[in-house]
Amino acid sequence: MTLNSEILSQSSFGLNGYWGLPQLFSTPYYTYESNVSNYFSLIDWGISLQYGAEFSESINSSLFLLGLSKRLGNHAMSARYTPGYQKEFLFATGESIIINDTTTQSLEAKYNYKELFGLGYSYSFNEQFNAGFTIRLFNQDFNQEIVKPVFGDTLYLVRESLNEKVNFWKADLGIDYILNDQLQFRLASINLLNFGDEPTIEEFQGFEMKQEKGALISASYLPFDFLNLHFIYETYNSFQLSTIGFENKFVYGLTVFHDIYQEPFIAGVVPAFGYRTDLFEILVSGVKYFSERSSSESFSKFAEDRIENIINNPYSFDRIAISFSLNISSAPERKVELIDVEIVKDIYPTFYDMYLDQPFAYGKVVNISNEPVSVRPSVRIEGVTEEKVQSPQVMIAPKDTTTIPFYVIIPEKYALDKTILSYADFYVAVSSAEPDDQLQKALLINGLNAWDGNVANLRYFVFKEPDFSMNYSKNILSVNKPLLDTIPDAVADFYKAEIIFNSFVEKLVYTSDPRATAEYVQFPKQTIELKGGDCDDLSVAYCSLLESVGIQTALVDYRSNGEVRHVNILFNTTLLPEQAKFITKNDSKYFIRQSSSGKDEVWIPVETTSLTNFNKAWNIGVEKFNLEAIAKLGIATGKVQIIDVY
Amino acid sequence: MKIILILSMLTISVIAQEYKAINVKGDVQYQTGTSEKWLELKEGAVLKSDAFVTTGENSSVKLTQSGNTVTLNELSALSVGSIKKISTDELLLALAMEDMINAPKTNRKGSSSNTATYGNKENSKVVSVTSNDFGAMRLNGAVQLAKSGLKESSVVFAKETYRKYPDTKQMAKYRIFFADILNEKGLYDEALGEYFEIEKLKLSNEERIKVESQVNAINKILLNN
Repeated sequence: MTLNSEILSQSSFGLNGYWGLPQLFSTPYYTYESNVSNYFSLIDWGISLQYGAEFSESINSSLFLLGLSKRLGNHAMSARYTPGYQKEFLFATGESIIINDTTTQSLEAKYNYKELFGLGYSYSFNEQFNAGFTIRLFNQDFNQEIVKPVFGDTLYLVRESLNEKVNFWKADLGIDYILNDQLQFRLASINLLNFGDEPTIEEFQGFEMKQEKGALISASYLPFDFLNLHFIYETYNSFQLSTIGFENKFVYGLTVFHDIYQEPFIAGVVPAFGYRTDLFEILVSGVKYFSERSSSESFSKFAEDRIENIINNPYSFDRIAISFSLNISSAPERKVELIDVEIVKDIYPTFYDMYLDQPFAYGKVVNISNEPVSVRPSVRIEGVTEEKVQSPQVMIAPKDTTTIPFYVIIPEKYALDKTILSYADFYVAVSSAEPDDQLQKALLINGLNAWDGNVANLRYFVFKEPDFSMNYSKNILSVNKPLLDTIPDAVADFYKAEIIFNSFVEKLVYTSDPRATAEYVQFPKQTIELKGGDCDDLSVAYCSLLESVGIQTALVDYRSNGEVRHVNILFNTTLLPEQAKFITKNDSKYFIRQSSSGKDEVWIPVETTSLTNFNKAWNIGVEKFNLEAIAKLGIATGKVQIIDVY
Repeated sequence: MKIILILSMLTISVIAQEYKAINVKGDVQYQTGTSEKWLELKEGAVLKSDAFVTTGENSSVKLTQSGNTVTLNELSALSVGSIKKISTDELLLALAMEDMINAPKTNRKGSSSNTATYGNKENSKVVSVTSNDFGAMRLNGAVQLAKSGLKESSVVFAKETYRKYPDTKQMAKYRIFFADILNEKGLYDEALGEYFEIEKLKLSNEERIKVESQVNAINKILLNN
C-alpha cells in the first residue's frame, strides 16, 4: 500500500480552546496538546473531569478526560486519563465472501486510535520562567478480516481476523516566559520523542499515527482582565487565535483555528463559558467545524491520509464538553508572595533588643489577591531563636508591592561567643498560622563580645550581668560605709563614684584589646576578672558599676581627626549648679546638663583609662572634654558625641 | 540645615594662646587648668588658655597678646581661653551645643525658679556685684570681652555662665546686653528667644520698652524675610 499525502491536524488543539498560561481557570491546564510545559498555577491539589458528546450521525457521549494535579513548591505534577480521546474507523475492505451462493458478507477492517493517559511535570524557576514536559501513551488497535484458503479434499475458504495492538509514547518539552503582567510567551516541541512498538503485520504497516516533528510558539497579550489575546502557531503552518476574559467569577473564551489540511481557512471555532469559585469551576465548551463532516469516507483515502491528532482531524465531528474542576488545598489560598529579602544588619547577640526597634532585614512582599490584606511577617534564625519572632503587621493594597521590616529579639540565654554563619527563615502569613510564603537567607551571627563600633551600642555591654555589677559596687560601698555616713546626701553620688573608681582601678591595668580587634568588648565581669581592658572595656565596666547603684552615666565618643577613636564617660553628680562648689572650686571641671525633666545638674567627665585615682582621672577627663568637646566645638560638629547609657 | 551647611565651610582652630598680665592693680588672682587653687597674679606673668583670672574690688589687669589687649576691671572673672576671635558661624555652633549637651528631653520645664534680683549702680553700665557673686563676675568679664571687640566670644562665655550660675539668668541688664549682640550679629531667632525669656524677668520700664521694641523690630525683619 502506498501512502503519499499526509494530514497533519493541529497538534495544539484542545476541546476548551487555547487559554495561553491561564491563571484563572485550571481546566485548560490539562490540555497537554497546548500546555506542553505543564504550566500550573494551582497551589496544591487539583482534580478535573471532562464529559462530552460528539455529534456524528448519532450522539455519542462519554467521559473525555479525568485529570489530577499537585504542586509542591516550585514543582508541579499532573496526570490525565483520557478514555474519550479515541477515534475508531470501520471500513469495508472491498473483499467479500459468498455463503451458500446466496448470502454475501463483506470483510471489514477496524482501526482504533486511543490516547490512554499522560503525565506532566514542570519546574518554576522564578516568577518569569517555567519549564516542563509531558509524556503521553497512545494505543493503536488494528483489526482486519481476511479470507484464508484451507486446502484439503475440498478447498475451503475460512474467514479469519488479523489483530495487532501497537503502543507508543510521545514526549515533548515546553518553556514558558512571563515577561510581565501583559506579555507571556511559550515555546514547545511537537513529537520531540516518539518511541514504542511498530506494526509487525504487513496489512497494518502504514496505518499507525503520524509523528512528524515540529514546534509551536505562543504569545499572549493581556491588556485588560476582560480581554486577553492569545496566538499559537505551529511549524506546520497551523494556528489558533483566541480571546479570553473574565468579569467577577465568570469567564469566556473564543478560539478560532486554522488547519492547513482542513477547509475552510478558519476550520472551526471553540467557544467556552465558565464560572468559578475558590473551590470549584465549571466550563462548558464546544467545537464547531465550518466544513461539512461525513461519517462515510473511502478506505483508500483514509489509508493515504492517516491521522496525527485523535481529537481533531478531518474525520472529527462537532463536540460539546462540560468540564468540572476542584481546586483542593490543604492550605489556604496564598494571598501574598515574599519576592526577596535584604539583610541590612548582621546580628550582634548582645544587642538583644536593638532589633526590636531597628529592622535587621527588609522583605519585598506583593499582595497577589484582589483584596487588601494584613501581612504578618515573622522570622526564625537557626541556632538563635527557637520560635518564629513576629514583626508588626503591615497592610498591603491589592496587587501592590511593599517593603516590610523584619524585627527580632535575641534570647537572653544565647551564649555562643564565636561568630557563625547561620541562616534565617523569613515568613509572611495572612489569614492562617501557615505562611503564605517563605524565604531563606544566610546571616552572620557575631559572637557575644562582638561590637559594631557604634558607641551607642556599648550600653548593651554596660547592662550585661547587672547582678554582678550591683554586688561588686555594693561590696565596695559597704566597706566604706563609715565614710559615706559622714557625707551629706547632696554629694553622696559624687563620693560613691569616687570610692567605686578608686577601688575598681586598684588592681586593673590598661591593655589593648585582648582579641586584637577593635570590635571586641568585654563585659564588666570579664574586665574585672581579667584585671584589665582597653578604653571601651573600662568605660563599660565603670558605667555598669555606677549605674548599678543608681548613678546616671553617659559614654563620650571622641572621633577627632587623626586620632584613634576614644571612649570615656560622664556621670551625673545630681548636684544643682549652685551646689557644684561642694565638689570643686574650679568651674571648668564640670558641665551642666539639663535632665529629661528639665532640671540642670552637674556632670563630670572621667577618663577611665587613667588607672591611678579618681581625681587624676577626673582632671584628665576634664582636659579632654574641654578641648575636644567644648573648645573645638566637637559636640556641635559631631566629632564628640554624648550617649546616655540609660 | 543651617548648621550642617556651616560645618562644611568651618575649620575650627584652637591655637594655644598665651597672654601677658600687665598693669596689675589690687587683688588679681588666677587659676590654671584643673587646679583647685587660686594664686596671686603678678605683673608680667604669662597665662595659658586654660587659665582663669579674677579681679577683686578696685582691682584690674590688662591681658595682652600681640597688640591685642583685654582690660579686666574690678569684680570680673574671665577665662583666658575665651579671649579669642570667633566668627558668627562659630557662635551659632556654640549656641547649638547648648541643647546638644543636654540629656534627651521628655518634659522640659521652665528655667530656674530663683527670684533673686540684682541692683545696679546709677549711671553705670556694669552691675554691682560682690566678690561672692562669681557668676556676676563672669558676666562682667564677658561684657569687657565684648567691649574689647570679641563680641561673639563674649556671648559664648555669658551663655556658659548662665548655665553654671543659674542666678545670673535673672540679671536683666546683662541678658539684654548679650541679646543685643545676637541681634546685632543678625542671629534674629536666637535674639528673639533671649528677649522672650527676658520679658519674663522683673524689668524696669526702660528695660521693658527696649525689649518690646527689639522684639517688634525683629518680628518685622523676620516677617519681611
